[in-house]
Amino acid sequence: MKIDIHTHTKKCKSGDAPTREISPKDFCDTVLSTEVGIIAITNHNVFDLKQFEEIETRLSGGAQVWPGIELDILNGGPRGHLLVIVSPLMAKEFSAAAYELTKSSNPDSFTTTIEQVLTAFEPLNPLYIAHYKQKRPAISDEVLEVLMTQTKHPECVIKEVTNSISAGIYIAHGHASIYGSDIHDWAKYEEIARGLPDLRLPVNSFEHFCLLLKKDPTTINTVLDKKTAEELVLRPFGDESTLRIKAFNDINVVFGPKGTGKTCILKAIARYYSDSGTDARVYESASDRLDEIFDVKGKNLTINLNSHDIHYCTDEIEQLRSASEIGVTSLDSYMNFFKAADTNKSANKILLKDIDPEEGGSVKREFNELRTANTKTQEFLDFLSSNSSVKRELTEAEINEVTRILSELVKRLDKSTWNSYSNWKLVVLLNSAIKTFRKEIARKTGKPAKPTSTGFRDYAMNRLKVEVSAIKIIGSVDAKIPSQIDVVGSLGSGKGELQFVTEFRFQTGGITDGALTSLTDVKKGPQKKFVSCVRKILAHVYADDLFQHIADLNAIEDAEGIKTVHELLMFNRYFALDGQPYSPSSGESSMVMLQKELGEERDVYILDEPERSLGNEYISDVIVPLIKERARSGKKIFISTHDANIAVRTLPYSSIYRCHGQTGYRTFVGNPFSNHLVNLDDPTDQLDWKKISMRTLEGGEQAFGERGKIYGNR
Amino acid sequence: METVSAVIEVSDDKYFITIDLGGSTAKIPLSDDRAVEVKAAFNKIIARIKRGEFQIKLEVVGDDLFAQVANEYLAQLNREIKEVAGEMKEYGLT
Repeated sequence: MKIDIHTHTKKCKSGDAPTREISPKDFCDTVLSTEVGIIAITNHNVFDLKQFEEIETRLSGGAQVWPGIELDILNGGPRGHLLVIVSPLMAKEFSAAAYELTKSSNPDSFTTTIEQVLTAFEPLNPLYIAHYKQKRPAISDEVLEVLMTQTKHPECVIKEVTNSISAGIYIAHGHASIYGSDIHDWAKYEEIARGLPDLRLPVNSFEHFCLLLKKDPTTINTVLDKKTAEELVLRPFGDESTLRIKAFNDINVVFGPKGTGKTCILKAIARYYSDSGTDARVYESASDRLDEIFDVKGKNLTINLNSHDIHYCTDEIEQLRSASEIGVTSLDSYMNFFKAADTNKSANKILLKDIDPEEGGSVKREFNELRTANTKTQEFLDFLSSNSSVKRELTEAEINEVTRILSELVKRLDKSTWNSYSNWKLVVLLNSAIKTFRKEIARKTGKPAKPTSTGFRDYAMNRLKVEVSAIKIIGSVDAKIPSQIDVVGSLGSGKGELQFVTEFRFQTGGITDGALTSLTDVKKGPQKKFVSCVRKILAHVYADDLFQHIADLNAIEDAEGIKTVHELLMFNRYFALDGQPYSPSSGESSMVMLQKELGEERDVYILDEPERSLGNEYISDVIVPLIKERARSGKKIFISTHDANIAVRTLPYSSIYRCHGQTGYRTFVGNPFSNHLVNLDDPTDQLDWKKISMRTLEGGEQAFGERGKIYGNR
Repeated sequence: METVSAVIEVSDDKYFITIDLGGSTAKIPLSDDRAVEVKAAFNKIIARIKRGEFQIKLEVVGDDLFAQVANEYLAQLNREIKEVAGEMKEYGLT
């Protein structure tokens, strides 16, 4: 849930953009289309009770709307803006107070003082939100001091800054900070709303929010108890000592100086979940292993050619390898037949021997065609009778008609198929009989038989099969396989997304690209020779030297492993940026590995110092949002960190602090909401979460200050 | 269907069936049993079938032994050419 503590619904001042005006209906429609669950209306020096009530009614619980006003404060120094927001339960009283304060002036010229504001609104227990530093016009530190000292609830004074980075820095410095949309154009609100602050704890009401600001332990524990959690009993340190920690389905941070056993705790957590059957492992940044993790060398790389409509050509390669020349009928056998005068009377009576054999190929093809037509029609008929969509579209009469016609067709095809089969077998039988009779008569009479074939058919068919096989193999290796491009992750700073590209290419006979590696054990040399040879076979399929090329194919060394075209595949895997090969730096490798880790769908994420090698900006812009997103989806995230951005800006539900002193190692647990860290072995031993965080993370307070300078927010 | 002509040729007392395939000539030796030359002729015939089915006609059919052999041989060859042409079509090679 997001919160927006600063919005406008009216053009109150002459300098206000007209696009700040919005009707209650449009306001509600817009807000409800976003993740904003709490929104405060803070028009310049005006509060419109009627509009507020209409909005509240229209939202009807879809989002909370809080009444507020943005006042021009003039306390001696320069003018600054202060938001005053109260409970919706006090809207009427607030309206009256705002009217009383502002009635003598118009919104353009109205100014007031802190004292007058306190007099007017303090009885309503408001939330004061002051423009601060870069948020102009800002309230000065001196004026803020006046407000803080005179209000009954200084913890309800918050500084409004310009954006999330500033807020993070000021929070890290111990300032209660927040930022709102301060919307100028409602047409852009949906987009702006995405960047608004997230509420880490569920907030039921304005009063609830104020209690959390006051870090009321009861309120915080009540809220935390609502969150799914489990108690882990760990033995992280290889001895009998146990550690009982409460793990939330959210962010759980482990922090502390180096050498205090944080990694041991993470490993114990991983063991705990693995033992209970949950996929859990400790992620450790290891940028030098990026190539290994992404399997750049393709050790486990596979591809299914069928999914690319590419034939493996197993039979075709086998056919080519085993092809051999076929003999033809000797012309002598014709000469001998005609030379020998056939004088045997009985033999002359057997006329069958003189019949010419019939051509059988066409009748066989006809039979095959009819059989296919018959089978397909029957299948279609079966499909129609069982398909519910067809039944919905056609009336019963129509279905009957279609079925009748197709059934009749099947019947006729069936009959024709049998006739054709009979014709085919008749030719086979006849030719076989002619051949047998000629052979037997020749044997009995001692006279040569008339040859039944020149041998051309078998000779030609042998080469035809070689051609068909070679065409299919070449067709497969000439096929293009689209590159597989996976997004690895963002490199941050507007540099773009790192991609991981896998290119597959068949050896086509002429590829010498050194970047390509054979996908299988067959080396590139034999691959190349093999395809070149197949191309030569195809080019010489009707040449006299065809079988010399087939012999060459079989003689290629180390090509025995080529059983299919799969063994002719090569690949190249590389990282790319904007389509060009790119070698990510060590830091960039860390970035994308962490994104990969968080991108995997798991119930438990355990990250050991994920910030290692990463820049602050990247952690803030990419990693923290990713961690928060995982937490929002109810995942358990355990992070050991030295980085304030992660430990503070994620506002972990649970913080485990490890330290070592004169009394040995100590383990504290707590959270940023209560601001306490409690010693697990001694509840009376408590630490301030904020102070410890600032001292431990990233080298202490000085580091935060330096970071503030980097971002230009001093 | 196209018909190409064939003649019986005699050269150095050797008999051949010479088939004019249009662009090339196939010579089948009749008087010697030379399988290599027959295969070379067959290769040309296959290549010719790829351009379109055809039949071979012996221009002059005499009564001598070589004419009888050539006539029978070409009759059988025509039947086989027809079958191979059909198979080529089936395989999508033409």
